[in-house]
Amino acid sequence: MGKLTHQEFISLLLAMGAMLFFARLAAEGARLLKLPVVTGEILVGVLLGPSFLGHLYPTLFAKTFPLFGEVGVALDGITKISAVLLLFVSGMELQMQLLVKQGRAAVTTSLLSLVIPFLLGFSLAYYLPGSLEYVPNDGLLFALFMGTAMSISALPVIAKTLMDLNMLKSKVGMIIIAAAMFDDLIGWLVFSLIISLLGKGREVSLVLLDVSVIIGYGILMLTIGKKLIDKSLPWIQKKLSWPGGVLSLSMSFCFFSAAFTEYLGIHAVLGAFIAGIAVGDSVKLNTKAREIIHQFVTNIFAPLFFVSIGIKINFIAHFDASVTLIIFLLASLGKITGATLGARAGLFPWRESVAIGFGLNARGAMEIILGTLALQVGLINETIFVALVIMAIVTSVASGPVLRWLGTGRESVLTRF
Amino acid sequence: MDHTKLKKRPPYPFETIAVAVAFSPRLEAMLNEAKHYADAFKSQVVLIHIGDKDQLKEETLETLVTNIGFNKTKLRIIWMQGDPTDTILQLCKLNMVDLLLLGALEKENLYKYYVGSIARNICRRAKCSVMLMVHPQVAPKRFKKVVIHGVDNLKSVHTLDTALYFARTEKIKELTVVQELDIPAFMLTTADSTTNSEANKIKKEMVEEETQKLQSMIDGVDKQEIEIHLKTVSGKPGYAISNYARTKSYDLLVVNSPDTPLGLFDRIFTHDIEYILADLPCNLLMVHSRV
Repeated sequence: MGKLTHQEFISLLLAMGAMLFFARLAAEGARLLKLPVVTGEILVGVLLGPSFLGHLYPTLFAKTFPLFGEVGVALDGITKISAVLLLFVSGMELQMQLLVKQGRAAVTTSLLSLVIPFLLGFSLAYYLPGSLEYVPNDGLLFALFMGTAMSISALPVIAKTLMDLNMLKSKVGMIIIAAAMFDDLIGWLVFSLIISLLGKGREVSLVLLDVSVIIGYGILMLTIGKKLIDKSLPWIQKKLSWPGGVLSLSMSFCFFSAAFTEYLGIHAVLGAFIAGIAVGDSVKLNTKAREIIHQFVTNIFAPLFFVSIGIKINFIAHFDASVTLIIFLLASLGKITGATLGARAGLFPWRESVAIGFGLNARGAMEIILGTLALQVGLINETIFVALVIMAIVTSVASGPVLRWLGTGRESVLTRF
Repeated sequence: MDHTKLKKRPPYPFETIAVAVAFSPRLEAMLNEAKHYADAFKSQVVLIHIGDKDQLKEETLETLVTNIGFNKTKLRIIWMQGDPTDTILQLCKLNMVDLLLLGALEKENLYKYYVGSIARNICRRAKCSVMLMVHPQVAPKRFKKVVIHGVDNLKSVHTLDTALYFARTEKIKELTVVQELDIPAFMLTTADSTTNSEANKIKKEMVEEETQKLQSMIDGVDKQEIEIHLKTVSGKPGYAISNYARTKSYDLLVVNSPDTPLGLFDRIFTHDIEYILADLPCNLLMVHSRV
């Protein structure tokens, strides 16, 4: 068994220390500028990674962030665990009840904001993969992934934008949140299916088996699993040490679920995501416990994950303006059109429908996580990944000002409707 | 009867009270409760039994009605066959029932919860106000502690008016209106980009905004001598108020009827009233506003 040498261990600690330190500085900067925190974290990664530090001071970069050998393996493990935990906390905030509660408008908005960008992404990648300067090993899976990447949303960024605009509790805000939750859920389910099909061929029976396993596991966890959580949480929160009991058992549940789905050949993140939904949906989960889990993951593992992206990828070498522009336009066109038409079908006036379209266009962290996982399994190349990250950041940064602009002089209408 | 009169008919006064009669051990208690409310609200009473009509049942009901002392000029007994939920709902409509009294268990088992018991299924679809009684008494007692679910909904003012009407008739001196604070994705939003004081400020502003809305609704109703207190609790809508009513030992929880009929999906992705129906914290009055 390989193990870290004294020097390698110091390198790992220094790397993690630097990533967390600079990520916090960037996060505070982003907060002051009212930008999504993930923007700052990605920027830190780009500055500390091969794009800048590695380019200007290659020796210093290689010593600080040794990406090969045992330290690289350790950092890779940390990144993977971070992705699992990030999906766990995202699942914790998913409330499918919102979709059921908001009725027709939420259903039409969710469906169209998912289907239209998916079809656009799928069609381009399947019929014109050359436009993305990429020759995929498996055209169908690549197209399915691009469809998913175009249709996913970013709940944290969207919720923060709506909160800043005092629209979170408005009808428009609730529809946006409900649709974003639905898009995330379906997006991750489809992504898991893609991962499960990698290298397995196209047999219908295999596809059906994988779909059944994914849906079956979800149903099992959200019915019996949720009931068991509801029964055990009050005991855990009352009888075990606070907050250690609930924190470690929640994490343990997340890792078990992630390990199970990874074992099934789906992907660990789906298990974590479903475990998060089951835990987060429990009315018995103490608010403080929920807050601690969020703080723990969002302030330690999220920065490690997002900074590590920039440290591993050379954003300048792999930047392709035309690919980035195509992906950005395709993603925005699909999402804004889909969500706007969906809201219109749900009987919203045009102006509010357009606001919903732009509100849902933010991709943020979810898109970046999705892209990272796709890159890891070889579904996409670095150029497409960089384009996806830039699209995610631009759509996230733009959603606030656009929503504010749409609400100018009519803010009361948007907040009240 | 002219059913068009049902439209825009206010939820109170309770001119006609119906009771779903099941020949269970709680029948006598339910009938006593019905008599108590019929006297208090000066209502007509309709007893509805869905199922076979036989001599034993007829005699049992007749004896109970006589012993309890119902005014028989204001009493009708309907025997019908059919699906209990559909038939009761149809009969309530035909007889222009204002309040339907039903006995209910506090909690159903998992199977019954998803399939739906008669009482709960009626609540999910009723077009009149429904009172679920978890502990009907042979010697009915007046409720002392009543809590109202304060939600931002056009129907809430009718619910509050009905609760005041109920309180005046039952000589209840004070009511509590509880609003719930639940901000979707709040943790996800504030965990990494908000200071503690900022997060608290956001929460405080949201509570103030919601409180203002409720307060203006309360100010707009005719309270007369009844005092109304306003409280805010955190948690998922439906569950938070249910938990509050249980821990504070309220006798009656008053809520709006659902905006649309509730189905299986609403039970799988439990929300609002379904949290209350899943585990009744006390007696429940679901006010159906037809206005």
